[in-house]
Amino acid sequence: MSASRSAGLLLVAPALVLVMALFVYPLTYSVVSAVSDPAGGVGAANFIKAFELYSGDILYTIFIVVISTILTGLVSIAIAGYLTMGETPWLVSGLAWLYRWPLFIPFIVAAQCMRTFLAKNGIMNNAIVAAGLLEPDQTISLLDWRGIVITFVWKQVPFVAMLLAGAMASLDRATIEAARNLGASRLRCLVEIGVPQVAQTLMVGLVLSFVTMLSVLSVPMMVAGSQPTMLTVDMAFRINAYGDYPVANALGVISYLMTAITAWFYLRYSLRQHRETLT
Amino acid sequence: MRTFILVPTLAITLVAAPASGQTINVATAGDENMVDYVRDYLGPLFEKAHRGVRVVAVGTGPGDAGSQKIYEKLAAQKSAGVAAWDFDVIVIHQKIAGQMAGAQLLAKYKDDIDTGKLVSRETAANALGADVSGYVMPMFHSQTALAYNPDIAKDVPSSYADLAEWVKKNPKKFGYNGIKGGMSGVAFVTGWVYAFSSDAAKMMKGPYDAATKAAWGNLLGQLKDFNKSVVITPGNAGTLDMLNRGEIAVGPVWVDMFYTWMADGKLPPSMKLKLITPGMPGQPMYYAVPAKAANAKLAETFVAMATSPEVQAEGIIKRFNWYPGIDAKYLEGKLDKAAWNKLFTDISPEELATKGQPFPITPYFNDVLEAYEKQVAN
Repeated sequence: MSASRSAGLLLVAPALVLVMALFVYPLTYSVVSAVSDPAGGVGAANFIKAFELYSGDILYTIFIVVISTILTGLVSIAIAGYLTMGETPWLVSGLAWLYRWPLFIPFIVAAQCMRTFLAKNGIMNNAIVAAGLLEPDQTISLLDWRGIVITFVWKQVPFVAMLLAGAMASLDRATIEAARNLGASRLRCLVEIGVPQVAQTLMVGLVLSFVTMLSVLSVPMMVAGSQPTMLTVDMAFRINAYGDYPVANALGVISYLMTAITAWFYLRYSLRQHRETLT
Repeated sequence: MRTFILVPTLAITLVAAPASGQTINVATAGDENMVDYVRDYLGPLFEKAHRGVRVVAVGTGPGDAGSQKIYEKLAAQKSAGVAAWDFDVIVIHQKIAGQMAGAQLLAKYKDDIDTGKLVSRETAANALGADVSGYVMPMFHSQTALAYNPDIAKDVPSSYADLAEWVKKNPKKFGYNGIKGGMSGVAFVTGWVYAFSSDAAKMMKGPYDAATKAAWGNLLGQLKDFNKSVVITPGNAGTLDMLNRGEIAVGPVWVDMFYTWMADGKLPPSMKLKLITPGMPGQPMYYAVPAKAANAKLAETFVAMATSPEVQAEGIIKRFNWYPGIDAKYLEGKLDKAAWNKLFTDISPEELATKGQPFPITPYFNDVLEAYEKQVAN
């Protein structure tokens, strides 16, 4: 018994050491650094400075990430829904083949592509102008917050859609077919039968996307100008321009708080689900 | 944490080194062109002259961020008590050079090499107020200026005051990258503060007075107002991109990047440069040798070659469009007239001497950036 227990501990040890060294230690260290006072001791000075300099950027970051998460959710539901309930086989297989591509493209490459695609005289506008839909001076550049949102959604949709499509494929099709027989439209089936049953998977996908988007540095740096900008850029700037880790860490703690809120929603929801399945 | 990264890197370096020959590691901060310069030009040149030696070029990223990474690596090796540090030659920005010299991370090698005597500019001894004499050799000097497209920009302003008026008449035709997207924007903002405050001389020479920045409220308010009529571009390259696509007509750029992009066909050949009054900042990049470089002697030979008149003429001026790091008089006869003149097509040597300014000393530099973040960007 004790031999198997120590063997078990031994098995867990590498993972535990990794989590401690690569997650718990840096997290604690950054919180400690964030609440350290420049004059010595503990204080909120770093947070006050962070708000003084970056309050606009904090709101901007929340705005971008929330909008992107919502749009990611909507587009993913549409794609996953069509993959499960679509009735045109070639369209379904075409979409299934296409939609995963952005998964294999790193954020920084996506950002570089968007820079040439979304610019005022970029590929998209040039194509529109060449098609005779707009005059060259009517085009606008999307290289601002819209560019960041577009890049984020483009990059995160396949991930969420893949999770959702998997979950929807394993649903009991009888319920959907029963509703269809009774005359419900496909959209109604999706919204009232499909989505509620995969809501938890959707939540997981969106929480993970939210956290990922909050941590991306390359996209806001490359796609949009720096005023306002996202917190990752500010953190990098704090370190690179001033070597100021405490305020950078304070900004980091502010981002942890943002993710903590989504994590709390997620935990509360999944606990409730768990209780429901038990009773 | 750092040991997790250092140990594998070290192991790879050890395994990768050939048994017989030596390897010198050159770490360079700056844009991709800096890495290209070492990897494609200096490295092969040095390997040819020193059989069996291999030059490994490592880029650490653009702007002060790249220099900061070199600093952190060396500081970590110093505090860990490592006997032989990984980098043999480093290429760093001005701001970090003073900090590194102060932290005893650099070797005092300039007077040991022949080319040390060829340096005349003040920046070889003074890096933003810090005494770095002996520790660094200027690799090149670079300068910021306004680039403009004469086809779409008429009556291009020739001073900061004119520019402020010009953008009101030509909204969204001027673009710069703020202060977080690279040094050309930082240079533009610094030039703005020099132009509209009476503290320019004190900011460049010192002594530092923490109360100076209190007087900048008005000029920063004007800059905030100015920003409403301009485009904030994504980065140094972002400004050049937008100039190339005709989305903006005027923007601050690094002179070397401007000429290199033009030579590569990424900018229309009709574009021009203008150095506006009272002036805009420029800066050198430095070659330095870490205090405990594993191959210190070889590293010194490398820098001596890199700062020799031949290499400065062919590599720095002709191929990469930088201004030389050593005194220009030693380049006579090493360079054809056309290559020299090309450097000064739009900005004459006299203009460069009178309107090319240094960045402020480090504490003022930080004050400018932070005041901008607080009063303009937020």
